[in-house]
Amino acid sequence: MLFPTVEFAVFFPIVLFISWALMSRQALWKVFIIAASYVFYGAADPKFCFLLAGITIGNQIAAQAIARAEDAKRRQWIVRVAVTLDLLTLGLFKYYGFFTEEVGNVLDSIGLGMPLPLLEVALPIGISFYTFQAITYVVDVKRGDAEPASLVDAAVYLSFFPHLVAGPIVRASEFLPQLKAPRDPNRVAVGAGISLIALGLIKKVAIADSLARELVDPVFAVPQAYGTPDLVLAAYGWVAQVYCDFSGYTDIAIGLALLMGFVFPQNFNNPLRSQSFREFWRRWHMTLSRFVRDYIYIPLGGSRRGTVRNYFNLLFTMTLMGLWHGAAWTTTLWGTYNGVMMSIEHWSRGRLGRPFPAWVRWFVAINLITAGLVLFRSTDLSQFGVFVEQLFTGGEATLWAWPIVLAVVVVYGFQLLPHRPLQRAQVWIEQRNPVALAFGLAAVILFVGATVPSQGVPPFIYFQF
Amino acid sequence: MPPSTHADDSEMSRFDRPEVRKLSAWWAVAAISITAALLVVFSGGSVKKQAEELRPGIGRDIIAAVGEPTKWIADATPLARVQADITDGLSSETELDEGAFADAAVGSADEIPPVTPSSFDPAAIGLNPSGDLKLDKLLVTGDSMSTPMDAVLARRLSPQGVEVVRDPKLGSAISDDEFLDWGQVSSAQVRDEDPDAVVMLIGAGEGLPMEAPGGGEVECCNPEYAAVYANRVRQIMQTYLGDPDKRLYWLSVPRSRNDRQWEISQLVNESVRVAAVPWLSQIRLIDLVSIFTPGGVYRDSMEIDGRDTIVRDSDGLHLTEAGAELAADAVLERMAQDFAIDAESE
Repeated sequence: MLFPTVEFAVFFPIVLFISWALMSRQALWKVFIIAASYVFYGAADPKFCFLLAGITIGNQIAAQAIARAEDAKRRQWIVRVAVTLDLLTLGLFKYYGFFTEEVGNVLDSIGLGMPLPLLEVALPIGISFYTFQAITYVVDVKRGDAEPASLVDAAVYLSFFPHLVAGPIVRASEFLPQLKAPRDPNRVAVGAGISLIALGLIKKVAIADSLARELVDPVFAVPQAYGTPDLVLAAYGWVAQVYCDFSGYTDIAIGLALLMGFVFPQNFNNPLRSQSFREFWRRWHMTLSRFVRDYIYIPLGGSRRGTVRNYFNLLFTMTLMGLWHGAAWTTTLWGTYNGVMMSIEHWSRGRLGRPFPAWVRWFVAINLITAGLVLFRSTDLSQFGVFVEQLFTGGEATLWAWPIVLAVVVVYGFQLLPHRPLQRAQVWIEQRNPVALAFGLAAVILFVGATVPSQGVPPFIYFQF
Repeated sequence: MPPSTHADDSEMSRFDRPEVRKLSAWWAVAAISITAALLVVFSGGSVKKQAEELRPGIGRDIIAAVGEPTKWIADATPLARVQADITDGLSSETELDEGAFADAAVGSADEIPPVTPSSFDPAAIGLNPSGDLKLDKLLVTGDSMSTPMDAVLARRLSPQGVEVVRDPKLGSAISDDEFLDWGQVSSAQVRDEDPDAVVMLIGAGEGLPMEAPGGGEVECCNPEYAAVYANRVRQIMQTYLGDPDKRLYWLSVPRSRNDRQWEISQLVNESVRVAAVPWLSQIRLIDLVSIFTPGGVYRDSMEIDGRDTIVRDSDGLHLTEAGAELAADAVLERMAQDFAIDAESE
């Protein structure tokens, strides 16, 4: 089920009402919220509910075993087995096709061609997110950052529908404590929740989908048909699109959770004002950045084992992060590219004399980040090559319609403007009467809904990850 | 990314700030209920419409049950019209006005219909096609089946100076004119683009009940249904074939993994074949069944350049990128017999 659909508009008010009606009876509430979340997940394909249930039960058994294990070595082994099984599950569904094809190519190239069992495996929506959350659960329990939960609590944690299919990646240590007692029905951030939902809908439906439809999809499908001005606009437009698409989803998810009394971690913090790759990854998909930092980079030794090892750790971590985004060479190389740029930034620190002015650092960083995201968006390396080649061919601006240019400028502009006035405006909106906010949310839905074409709202980009 | 400290970068306490107003949970329920009520009053009809577009099942039944009263409420107030008028200019849709299926007059032929020269494909009677027509603009359309083949064709033909207009209508079906009327869509496409040739691949969502000529509905799949479907297809074909130099490449739907789907696809393919008869001098029927599922046997993968390659998506229906390349090959090979293009060009 997608958030911006009629099905969800019917689903959510009912679930919200029953959720608060049952909140004081926690046992019932938990059973209800698990059932609701599985209905939400199963709306796309019911059979994947078994996968979600299997991952929940498997990791719950591991977490309980870790808590019972008496020595550290045994705990370590249980974590290894649990994480390996999680990654194997993820690998089977997400990377099987990619690896069999690539291995087949390699075997062919050395004259050892043999038929590998080809299978087009359907990718369960959100699998990358809930397997990562399952990993944080067992690792946090092993580290002592979270206590092992009951099976019901673990099921609520992994299936809770606002974060189920596209994050944010909520750690066990952040979510499970919120299940220890009923949410306080007198302290709900209603205004913040509603305004986040409205903002998310505007970002996703009005901006991201319009940019995709009118600019990004046509250009990236056939870059050879467009000239330099259109390609440049499409590159910046793509960055604006993917930001609005994903952060829009996150805003809606956080807003829905707030209305249900739960808090999710921050996932975006104006990433397009970043002045370096390192800063970008502290502002973009922050919950994934934290995951790769705390569960991959630091366990590998982080920056504590010398300069060369630090560069290796950066490259390895960011390459894995790229691979997480999709079973393709483009996403993997995009990850590596980010690792290389972060290593260069690390190396150059203090070696280039006086720091460049902030606007120069921003201009360089944002263009290098955009170049990387063009690689990420390309279907394959040859398409990326065509895109780059076409960038230098000149040609006419055929797609520079004012609403499109305005959308791109607004997305960048809002992140570059001073924050205080925007924050004040946000607080002012959040403090309005909930009835007024309800009218505002309805108006937003009706207006952005009018821009939706007959085929409906396209899925969020991050659903495929 | 990586600072090596564990600061609270999740900002879990950001909603505890004093300026974040905290209210009773029932205000949240009330606000969402008011929003829902407003949506019902202003746009209640869309719930029922949405139900019609869902796959059959309990979810669809629930939404349909909710959609009945919401449509009644929306129809009973003038506010839905007001909302439509206010937001009219925001629509990203092409304006559809002429050519609806319902407006088309399908004649009852009491006389024996004459066979005309336009019923013959020159290649089929042993003549060499001229292959010298000029292709300036190609329209690639259909439902989701037409993607990603549309992009493949655009990549192949754009370097040859052909403008390729890609207009997939995702989720549409010729049998579902409530969602999108392909009679109107084809009219609007010709009006707006005036293509020299059209490539059409549609069939993923067919099989819905249609209005019968004498009133009432016909259900899939029987000869009555096939006749209604073929008449709709014929109307679309006539729209695309404005003058004798225009060409239409209509691709059949290959067998899907799902048996029921295949039953419908067979009817669709046969209806298209029958509908095309009057204009076989201009219409090229591209047989994807023999390419992807010879003998009507479904397969996920097939040998391409000596390698077993996956050609069908995980849904067992749509084509993968490799499958789309094969379909595009078939189209271009046939197109090169009509137009001065290089079918081999990458």
